[in-house]
Amino acid sequence: MKSISLYIDNGSWLCRMHPFTKLAYIAAAISVPLLAGRLWLFAVFIALSLAVLASGHLLKRVVPLVAFSFTILITIFLIHGLFNQQNRDILFSIGPLHFYREGLLYALHIGCNVLNMLLSFAILVLSTKPSELVEELEKRGFSRRMGYIIISVFQIVPQMMGTMNTITDAQRSRGMETEGSLATRAKAFLPLISPVVMSSLINTRERAVALEVRGFAAKQKKTYLADRTPRRGDKPITIVLLALIVLAVIWRIVQCL
Amino acid sequence: MNLFKTKFDAATIVLIPACIGINYLGKMFASLLKLPLWLDSIGTCIGGCLGGPVIGAICGAANNLIYGFTAGDNITLIYALTSLCIGVAVGIMSRLGFMKSFPKAILTAVVAGLVAVVISTPLNVVFWGGTTGNVWGDMVFAATQAAGMPVLLGSLLDEIVVDVPDKIITLIIVFFVLKGLPQKLTALYDANAKVERLD
Repeated sequence: MKSISLYIDNGSWLCRMHPFTKLAYIAAAISVPLLAGRLWLFAVFIALSLAVLASGHLLKRVVPLVAFSFTILITIFLIHGLFNQQNRDILFSIGPLHFYREGLLYALHIGCNVLNMLLSFAILVLSTKPSELVEELEKRGFSRRMGYIIISVFQIVPQMMGTMNTITDAQRSRGMETEGSLATRAKAFLPLISPVVMSSLINTRERAVALEVRGFAAKQKKTYLADRTPRRGDKPITIVLLALIVLAVIWRIVQCL
Repeated sequence: MNLFKTKFDAATIVLIPACIGINYLGKMFASLLKLPLWLDSIGTCIGGCLGGPVIGAICGAANNLIYGFTAGDNITLIYALTSLCIGVAVGIMSRLGFMKSFPKAILTAVVAGLVAVVISTPLNVVFWGGTTGNVWGDMVFAATQAAGMPVLLGSLLDEIVVDVPDKIITLIIVFFVLKGLPQKLTALYDANAKVERLD
Protein backbone atom coordinates (compact mmCIF):
# COMPACT_ATOMS: atom_id res chain seq x y z
CA MET A 1 0.00 0.00 0.00
CA LYS A 2 1.26 3.43 -0.92
CA SER A 3 1.51 5.92 1.91
CA ILE A 4 0.42 9.51 1.38
CA SER A 5 3.35 10.76 3.41
CA LEU A 6 6.44 11.70 1.43
CA TYR A 7 8.80 10.78 4.24
CA ILE A 8 11.55 8.25 3.53
CA ASP A 9 14.22 7.59 6.14
CA ASN A 10 17.50 8.09 4.33
CA GLY A 11 19.56 8.34 7.51
CA SER A 12 20.67 11.93 6.96
CA TRP A 13 21.09 14.48 9.74
CA LEU A 14 17.90 16.14 8.60
CA CYS A 15 15.85 13.05 9.41
CA ARG A 16 17.28 12.87 12.91
CA MET A 17 16.65 16.51 13.68
CA HIS A 18 13.85 17.41 16.07
CA PRO A 19 10.58 18.20 14.20
CA PHE A 20 10.16 21.43 16.18
CA THR A 21 13.45 22.79 14.85
CA LYS A 22 12.13 22.30 11.33
CA LEU A 23 8.85 23.97 12.29
CA ALA A 24 10.84 26.94 13.62
CA TYR A 25 12.70 27.08 10.31
CA ILE A 26 9.41 27.19 8.38
CA ALA A 27 8.16 30.02 10.61
CA ALA A 28 11.37 32.00 10.11
CA ALA A 29 11.67 31.35 6.37
CA ILE A 30 8.12 32.51 5.71
CA SER A 31 7.77 35.39 8.15
CA VAL A 32 11.17 37.11 7.87
CA PRO A 33 11.02 38.02 4.14
CA LEU A 34 7.35 39.00 4.43
CA LEU A 35 7.99 41.20 7.46
CA ALA A 36 11.04 42.82 5.94
CA GLY A 37 9.38 43.08 2.53
CA ARG A 38 12.59 42.79 0.53
CA LEU A 39 12.91 40.66 -2.57
CA TRP A 40 16.53 39.67 -1.88
CA LEU A 41 15.54 38.08 1.45
CA PHE A 42 13.30 35.66 -0.43
CA ALA A 43 16.31 34.72 -2.52
CA VAL A 44 18.43 34.23 0.63
CA PHE A 45 15.91 31.87 2.21
CA ILE A 46 15.27 30.00 -1.04
CA ALA A 47 19.01 29.45 -1.39
CA LEU A 48 19.28 28.41 2.25
CA SER A 49 16.41 25.92 1.90
CA LEU A 50 18.01 24.47 -1.23
CA ALA A 51 21.36 24.16 0.58
CA VAL A 52 19.74 22.40 3.55
CA LEU A 53 17.84 20.06 1.25
CA ALA A 54 21.01 19.29 -0.70
CA SER A 55 22.95 18.46 2.46
CA GLY A 56 20.15 16.10 3.47
CA HIS A 57 20.27 14.38 0.04
CA LEU A 58 16.67 15.41 -0.61
CA LEU A 59 17.15 17.71 -3.58
CA LYS A 60 16.01 15.14 -6.14
CA ARG A 61 12.74 14.52 -4.32
CA VAL A 62 11.84 18.22 -4.19
CA VAL A 63 11.62 18.38 -7.98
CA PRO A 64 8.12 16.82 -8.32
CA LEU A 65 6.84 19.08 -5.52
CA VAL A 66 8.04 22.22 -7.25
CA ALA A 67 7.00 20.96 -10.69
CA PHE A 68 3.46 20.53 -9.40
CA SER A 69 3.04 24.18 -8.57
CA PHE A 70 4.97 25.35 -11.62
CA THR A 71 1.89 25.37 -13.85
CA ILE A 72 0.13 27.68 -11.38
CA LEU A 73 3.17 29.96 -11.24
CA ILE A 74 3.28 30.12 -15.03
CA THR A 75 -0.41 31.14 -15.20
CA ILE A 76 0.34 33.86 -12.65
CA PHE A 77 3.23 35.18 -14.74
CA LEU A 78 1.14 35.09 -17.90
CA ILE A 79 -1.96 36.74 -16.45
CA HIS A 80 -0.15 39.48 -14.55
CA GLY A 81 2.52 40.02 -17.18
CA LEU A 82 -0.15 40.54 -19.81
CA PHE A 83 -3.14 42.02 -18.00
CA ASN A 84 -2.11 43.55 -14.66
CA GLN A 85 -3.87 46.88 -14.01
CA GLN A 86 -0.66 48.74 -13.15
CA ASN A 87 1.06 47.71 -16.39
CA ARG A 88 2.86 50.63 -18.07
CA ASP A 89 6.30 49.85 -19.47
CA ILE A 90 6.60 47.07 -21.99
CA LEU A 91 9.50 44.81 -21.06
CA PHE A 92 9.42 42.52 -24.09
CA SER A 93 6.99 41.29 -26.70
CA ILE A 94 6.41 37.87 -28.20
CA GLY A 95 4.50 38.39 -31.42
CA PRO A 96 1.30 40.25 -30.56
CA LEU A 97 1.71 39.64 -26.79
CA HIS A 98 3.24 42.41 -24.71
CA PHE A 99 4.74 41.58 -21.34
CA TYR A 100 4.85 44.49 -18.91
CA ARG A 101 7.45 45.24 -16.24
CA GLU A 102 5.05 46.03 -13.36
CA GLY A 103 2.96 42.93 -13.81
CA LEU A 104 6.00 40.68 -14.09
CA LEU A 105 7.55 42.23 -10.97
CA TYR A 106 4.32 41.60 -9.06
CA ALA A 107 4.25 38.03 -10.36
CA LEU A 108 7.88 37.63 -9.33
CA HIS A 109 6.97 38.64 -5.76
CA ILE A 110 4.20 36.06 -5.63
CA GLY A 111 6.37 33.44 -7.28
CA CYS A 112 9.24 33.96 -4.81
CA ASN A 113 6.84 33.80 -1.88
CA VAL A 114 5.31 30.55 -3.12
CA LEU A 115 8.66 28.96 -3.95
CA ASN A 116 10.02 29.97 -0.56
CA MET A 117 7.03 28.45 1.24
CA LEU A 118 7.22 25.33 -0.86
CA LEU A 119 10.91 24.71 -0.21
CA SER A 120 10.84 25.42 3.51
CA PHE A 121 7.87 23.10 3.93
CA ALA A 122 9.62 20.50 1.80
CA ILE A 123 12.36 20.28 4.45
CA LEU A 124 9.80 19.27 7.08
CA VAL A 125 7.63 17.14 4.81
CA LEU A 126 10.39 15.09 3.22
CA SER A 127 12.41 14.41 6.36
CA THR A 128 9.88 13.98 9.16
CA LYS A 129 7.79 10.95 9.94
CA PRO A 130 4.22 12.18 10.56
CA SER A 131 3.74 9.96 13.61
CA GLU A 132 6.96 11.32 15.10
CA LEU A 133 5.79 14.89 14.66
CA VAL A 134 2.44 14.08 16.26
CA GLU A 135 4.06 12.23 19.16
CA GLU A 136 6.37 15.18 19.92
CA LEU A 137 3.35 17.50 19.80
CA GLU A 138 1.44 15.24 22.18
CA LYS A 139 4.37 15.24 24.61
CA ARG A 140 4.07 19.04 24.73
CA GLY A 141 0.39 18.89 25.60
CA PHE A 142 -1.28 18.65 22.18
CA SER A 143 -4.71 16.99 22.40
CA ARG A 144 -4.42 13.21 22.19
CA ARG A 145 -7.71 12.96 20.31
CA MET A 146 -6.40 15.30 17.62
CA GLY A 147 -3.22 13.24 17.57
CA TYR A 148 -5.24 10.11 16.92
CA ILE A 149 -7.17 11.85 14.14
CA ILE A 150 -3.97 12.87 12.37
CA ILE A 151 -2.25 9.51 12.66
CA SER A 152 -5.29 7.50 11.61
CA VAL A 153 -5.67 9.55 8.43
CA PHE A 154 -2.39 8.02 7.35
CA GLN A 155 -3.73 4.55 7.99
CA ILE A 156 -7.18 5.08 6.52
CA VAL A 157 -6.22 6.68 3.22
CA PRO A 158 -4.10 3.76 1.90
CA GLN A 159 -6.89 1.38 2.93
CA MET A 160 -9.45 3.46 1.07
CA MET A 161 -7.22 3.57 -1.99
CA GLY A 162 -7.12 -0.22 -1.90
CA THR A 163 -10.92 -0.37 -1.74
CA MET A 164 -11.12 2.20 -4.50
CA ASN A 165 -8.96 0.14 -6.86
CA THR A 166 -11.09 -2.94 -6.17
CA ILE A 167 -14.27 -1.00 -6.90
CA THR A 168 -12.89 0.62 -10.05
CA ASP A 169 -11.94 -2.82 -11.37
CA ALA A 170 -15.31 -4.26 -10.39
CA GLN A 171 -17.26 -1.49 -12.12
CA ARG A 172 -15.09 -1.70 -15.22
CA SER A 173 -15.62 -5.44 -15.44
CA ARG A 174 -19.34 -4.71 -15.44
CA GLY A 175 -18.79 -2.59 -18.51
CA MET A 176 -18.68 0.92 -17.01
CA GLU A 177 -16.66 3.38 -19.04
CA THR A 178 -14.19 5.56 -17.19
CA GLU A 179 -12.57 7.18 -20.20
CA GLY A 180 -13.95 9.24 -23.04
CA SER A 181 -15.89 12.48 -23.22
CA LEU A 182 -16.49 14.76 -20.24
CA ALA A 183 -20.07 13.48 -19.90
CA THR A 184 -18.89 9.85 -19.75
CA ARG A 185 -16.25 10.66 -17.15
CA ALA A 186 -18.68 12.70 -15.07
CA LYS A 187 -21.21 9.87 -15.18
CA ALA A 188 -18.55 7.45 -13.92
CA PHE A 189 -17.82 9.55 -10.82
CA LEU A 190 -20.85 8.63 -8.72
CA PRO A 191 -20.78 4.82 -9.12
CA LEU A 192 -17.06 4.90 -8.36
CA ILE A 193 -17.02 7.07 -5.27
CA SER A 194 -20.25 6.22 -3.50
CA PRO A 195 -19.39 2.58 -2.66
CA VAL A 196 -16.02 3.64 -1.20
CA VAL A 197 -17.60 6.44 0.81
CA MET A 198 -20.37 4.16 2.08
CA SER A 199 -18.07 1.36 3.11
CA SER A 200 -15.60 3.64 4.82
CA LEU A 201 -18.37 5.31 6.81
CA ILE A 202 -19.82 1.96 7.79
CA ASN A 203 -16.35 0.80 8.86
CA THR A 204 -16.07 3.70 11.31
CA ARG A 205 -18.57 1.96 13.57
CA GLU A 206 -16.30 -1.03 13.99
CA ARG A 207 -13.28 1.19 14.47
CA ALA A 208 -15.03 3.13 17.21
CA VAL A 209 -15.92 -0.06 19.07
CA ALA A 210 -12.35 -1.35 18.70
CA LEU A 211 -11.00 1.91 20.13
CA GLU A 212 -13.35 1.90 23.08
CA VAL A 213 -12.42 -1.68 23.91
CA ARG A 214 -8.76 -0.63 24.07
CA GLY A 215 -9.46 2.16 26.50
CA PHE A 216 -9.33 5.18 24.16
CA ALA A 217 -11.51 7.28 26.45
CA ALA A 218 -9.58 6.29 29.60
CA LYS A 219 -8.33 9.28 31.57
CA GLN A 220 -5.08 7.68 32.79
CA LYS A 221 -1.76 9.14 31.72
CA LYS A 222 -0.40 7.23 28.76
CA THR A 223 3.21 6.32 28.04
CA TYR A 224 5.07 6.57 24.75
CA LEU A 225 6.62 3.76 22.81
CA ALA A 226 9.60 5.64 21.41
CA ASP A 227 11.97 7.78 23.42
CA ARG A 228 13.94 10.51 21.68
CA THR A 229 17.58 10.95 22.41
CA PRO A 230 18.11 14.72 22.65
CA ARG A 231 20.58 16.12 20.13
CA ARG A 232 22.90 19.03 20.68
CA GLY A 233 22.19 21.06 17.57
CA ASP A 234 18.46 21.51 17.98
CA LYS A 235 18.31 24.11 20.71
CA PRO A 236 20.82 26.69 19.38
CA ILE A 237 19.35 26.50 15.87
CA THR A 238 15.84 27.07 17.17
CA ILE A 239 16.99 30.03 19.26
CA VAL A 240 18.76 31.63 16.28
CA LEU A 241 15.69 31.17 14.07
CA LEU A 242 13.32 32.64 16.62
CA ALA A 243 15.73 35.54 17.18
CA LEU A 244 15.64 36.23 13.43
CA ILE A 245 11.85 36.49 13.51
CA VAL A 246 11.99 38.87 16.49
CA LEU A 247 14.61 40.97 14.70
CA ALA A 248 12.43 41.17 11.59
CA VAL A 249 9.46 42.29 13.69
CA ILE A 250 11.55 44.97 15.42
CA TRP A 251 12.96 46.13 12.08
CA ARG A 252 9.43 46.41 10.68
CA ILE A 253 8.24 48.44 13.67
CA VAL A 254 11.25 50.76 13.41
CA GLN A 255 10.52 51.23 9.69
CA CYS A 256 6.93 52.18 10.44
CA LEU A 257 7.91 54.77 13.05
CA MET B 1 -32.39 22.08 19.87
CA ASN B 2 -28.88 23.38 20.23
CA LEU B 3 -27.24 24.13 16.88
CA PHE B 4 -23.67 23.65 18.02
CA LYS B 5 -24.14 20.73 20.39
CA THR B 6 -21.44 18.18 19.68
CA LYS B 7 -20.65 14.71 20.92
CA PHE B 8 -16.97 13.97 21.42
CA ASP B 9 -16.95 10.21 21.86
CA ALA B 10 -14.95 7.57 20.04
CA ALA B 11 -17.53 7.38 17.23
CA THR B 12 -17.20 11.05 16.23
CA ILE B 13 -13.43 10.99 16.67
CA VAL B 14 -13.27 8.09 14.21
CA LEU B 15 -15.62 9.85 11.82
CA ILE B 16 -13.18 12.73 11.30
CA PRO B 17 -10.29 10.75 9.75
CA ALA B 18 -12.76 8.84 7.60
CA CYS B 19 -14.12 12.15 6.29
CA ILE B 20 -10.63 13.42 5.62
CA GLY B 21 -9.94 10.24 3.68
CA ILE B 22 -13.12 10.78 1.68
CA ASN B 23 -12.00 14.31 0.81
CA TYR B 24 -8.76 12.88 -0.48
CA LEU B 25 -10.54 10.25 -2.57
CA GLY B 26 -12.90 12.81 -4.08
CA LYS B 27 -9.99 14.96 -5.11
CA MET B 28 -8.16 11.95 -6.54
CA PHE B 29 -11.15 10.70 -8.52
CA ALA B 30 -11.73 14.18 -9.89
CA SER B 31 -8.17 14.38 -11.15
CA LEU B 32 -8.22 10.75 -12.30
CA LEU B 33 -11.33 11.34 -14.40
CA LYS B 34 -9.93 14.75 -15.37
CA LEU B 35 -13.05 16.60 -14.23
CA PRO B 36 -12.68 20.38 -14.15
CA LEU B 37 -13.82 20.51 -10.49
CA TRP B 38 -12.14 20.01 -7.13
CA LEU B 39 -14.66 17.79 -5.33
CA ASP B 40 -12.34 17.83 -2.32
CA SER B 41 -14.92 18.70 0.32
CA ILE B 42 -17.26 15.70 0.12
CA GLY B 43 -15.95 14.37 3.43
CA THR B 44 -16.10 17.76 5.14
CA CYS B 45 -19.76 18.06 4.17
CA ILE B 46 -20.54 14.52 5.34
CA GLY B 47 -18.81 15.31 8.65
CA GLY B 48 -20.82 18.50 9.00
CA CYS B 49 -24.10 16.73 8.27
CA LEU B 50 -23.52 13.79 10.58
CA GLY B 51 -21.64 15.36 13.48
CA GLY B 52 -22.79 18.98 13.33
CA PRO B 53 -21.00 22.26 12.63
CA VAL B 54 -18.15 21.70 15.10
CA ILE B 55 -17.20 18.33 13.62
CA GLY B 56 -17.56 19.81 10.13
CA ALA B 57 -15.18 22.59 11.08
CA ILE B 58 -12.63 20.16 12.52
CA CYS B 59 -12.87 17.94 9.43
CA GLY B 60 -12.32 20.88 7.13
CA ALA B 61 -9.45 22.51 8.97
CA ALA B 62 -7.68 19.25 9.86
CA ASN B 63 -7.99 18.11 6.25
CA ASN B 64 -6.04 21.03 4.84
CA LEU B 65 -3.57 21.18 7.73
CA ILE B 66 -2.72 17.47 7.50
CA TYR B 67 -2.21 17.47 3.75
CA GLY B 68 -0.36 20.74 3.93
CA PHE B 69 2.06 19.59 6.59
CA THR B 70 2.68 16.04 5.46
CA ALA B 71 1.80 15.44 1.84
CA GLY B 72 3.77 18.40 0.53
CA ASP B 73 0.69 20.12 -0.82
CA ASN B 74 1.24 23.25 1.24
CA ILE B 75 -0.73 25.46 -1.12
CA THR B 76 -3.85 23.95 0.48
CA LEU B 77 -2.63 25.15 3.86
CA ILE B 78 -3.92 28.70 3.42
CA TYR B 79 -7.33 27.39 2.38
CA ALA B 80 -7.83 25.68 5.76
CA LEU B 81 -9.98 28.66 6.71
CA THR B 82 -12.22 28.11 3.68
CA SER B 83 -12.66 24.43 4.47
CA LEU B 84 -13.41 25.21 8.09
CA CYS B 85 -16.17 27.64 7.13
CA ILE B 86 -17.66 25.21 4.59
CA GLY B 87 -17.85 22.59 7.33
CA VAL B 88 -19.56 25.02 9.71
CA ALA B 89 -22.00 26.25 7.06
CA VAL B 90 -23.04 22.76 5.97
CA GLY B 91 -23.28 21.62 9.60
CA ILE B 92 -25.58 24.48 10.54
CA MET B 93 -27.74 24.05 7.44
CA SER B 94 -28.05 20.34 8.12
CA ARG B 95 -29.02 20.92 11.76
CA LEU B 96 -31.67 23.37 10.56
CA GLY B 97 -33.13 20.57 8.44
CA PHE B 98 -31.82 21.72 5.08
CA MET B 99 -30.51 18.28 4.08
CA LYS B 100 -33.85 16.49 4.36
CA SER B 101 -35.01 16.84 0.77
CA PHE B 102 -33.28 17.26 -2.56
CA PRO B 103 -34.29 20.91 -3.27
CA LYS B 104 -33.25 21.91 0.24
CA ALA B 105 -29.89 20.17 -0.25
CA ILE B 106 -29.33 22.30 -3.34
CA LEU B 107 -29.97 25.39 -1.23
CA THR B 108 -27.39 24.16 1.29
CA ALA B 109 -24.97 23.71 -1.60
CA VAL B 110 -25.47 27.29 -2.77
CA VAL B 111 -24.88 28.57 0.76
CA ALA B 112 -21.71 26.47 1.08
CA GLY B 113 -20.53 27.64 -2.32
CA LEU B 114 -21.05 31.31 -1.45
CA VAL B 115 -19.28 30.87 1.89
CA ALA B 116 -16.34 29.33 0.04
CA VAL B 117 -16.33 32.23 -2.43
CA VAL B 118 -16.41 34.91 0.28
CA ILE B 119 -13.55 33.34 2.24
CA SER B 120 -11.39 32.23 -0.69
CA THR B 121 -11.45 35.42 -2.74
CA PRO B 122 -9.34 37.54 -0.36
CA LEU B 123 -6.92 34.60 0.07
CA ASN B 124 -6.62 34.26 -3.70
CA VAL B 125 -5.92 37.95 -4.10
CA VAL B 126 -3.31 38.03 -1.33
CA PHE B 127 -1.45 34.85 -2.25
CA TRP B 128 -1.93 34.43 -5.95
CA GLY B 129 -2.82 37.90 -7.15
CA GLY B 130 -6.33 36.66 -7.95
CA THR B 131 -5.98 33.36 -9.81
CA THR B 132 -7.36 30.07 -8.49
CA GLY B 133 -5.39 27.46 -10.41
CA ASN B 134 -8.53 26.11 -12.07
CA VAL B 135 -8.51 26.32 -15.86
CA TRP B 136 -12.04 27.62 -16.37
CA GLY B 137 -11.93 30.06 -13.47
CA ASP B 138 -8.59 31.48 -14.56
CA MET B 139 -9.86 32.06 -18.07
CA VAL B 140 -12.67 34.15 -16.57
CA PHE B 141 -10.09 36.02 -14.47
CA ALA B 142 -7.87 36.71 -17.48
CA ALA B 143 -10.90 37.99 -19.40
CA THR B 144 -11.93 40.37 -16.60
CA GLN B 145 -8.37 41.68 -16.27
CA ALA B 146 -8.13 42.23 -20.02
CA ALA B 147 -11.41 44.14 -19.80
CA GLY B 148 -9.90 46.36 -17.09
CA MET B 149 -12.08 45.27 -14.17
CA PRO B 150 -10.65 45.47 -10.64
CA VAL B 151 -8.70 42.44 -9.38
CA LEU B 152 -11.10 41.75 -6.51
CA LEU B 153 -14.14 41.62 -8.81
CA GLY B 154 -12.33 39.44 -11.33
CA SER B 155 -11.19 37.09 -8.60
CA LEU B 156 -14.71 36.97 -7.16
CA LEU B 157 -16.13 35.95 -10.54
CA ASP B 158 -13.30 33.47 -10.95
CA GLU B 159 -14.28 31.86 -7.62
CA ILE B 160 -18.03 31.87 -8.29
CA VAL B 161 -17.59 30.11 -11.61
CA VAL B 162 -15.59 27.35 -9.96
CA ASP B 163 -16.83 27.05 -6.39
CA VAL B 164 -20.61 27.16 -6.67
CA PRO B 165 -20.95 24.35 -9.25
CA ASP B 166 -18.32 22.40 -7.33
CA LYS B 167 -20.28 22.61 -4.08
CA ILE B 168 -23.59 21.81 -5.78
CA ILE B 169 -22.20 18.57 -7.18
CA THR B 170 -20.47 17.81 -3.86
CA LEU B 171 -23.69 18.18 -1.89
CA ILE B 172 -25.71 16.16 -4.39
CA ILE B 173 -23.26 13.31 -3.80
CA VAL B 174 -23.42 13.86 -0.03
CA PHE B 175 -27.23 13.86 -0.13
CA PHE B 176 -27.40 10.47 -1.84
CA VAL B 177 -24.69 8.98 0.34
CA LEU B 178 -26.47 10.06 3.52
CA LYS B 179 -29.74 8.68 2.16
CA GLY B 180 -28.08 5.31 1.78
CA LEU B 181 -26.49 5.08 5.22
CA PRO B 182 -28.11 2.68 7.70
CA GLN B 183 -29.81 4.30 10.64
CA LYS B 184 -27.82 2.33 13.19
CA LEU B 185 -24.80 4.26 11.93
CA THR B 186 -26.27 7.76 11.70
CA ALA B 187 -27.79 7.34 15.18
CA LEU B 188 -24.22 7.11 16.56
CA TYR B 189 -23.57 10.75 15.69
CA ASP B 190 -26.89 12.26 16.67
CA ALA B 191 -25.96 14.70 19.43
CA ASN B 192 -29.59 15.40 20.29
CA ALA B 193 -30.53 11.74 20.77
CA LYS B 194 -31.70 10.68 24.20
CA VAL B 195 -30.25 7.60 25.85
CA GLU B 196 -32.69 5.64 27.89
CA ARG B 197 -31.12 3.79 30.78
CA LEU B 198 -32.57 0.60 32.15
CA ASP B 199 -30.83 0.58 35.52
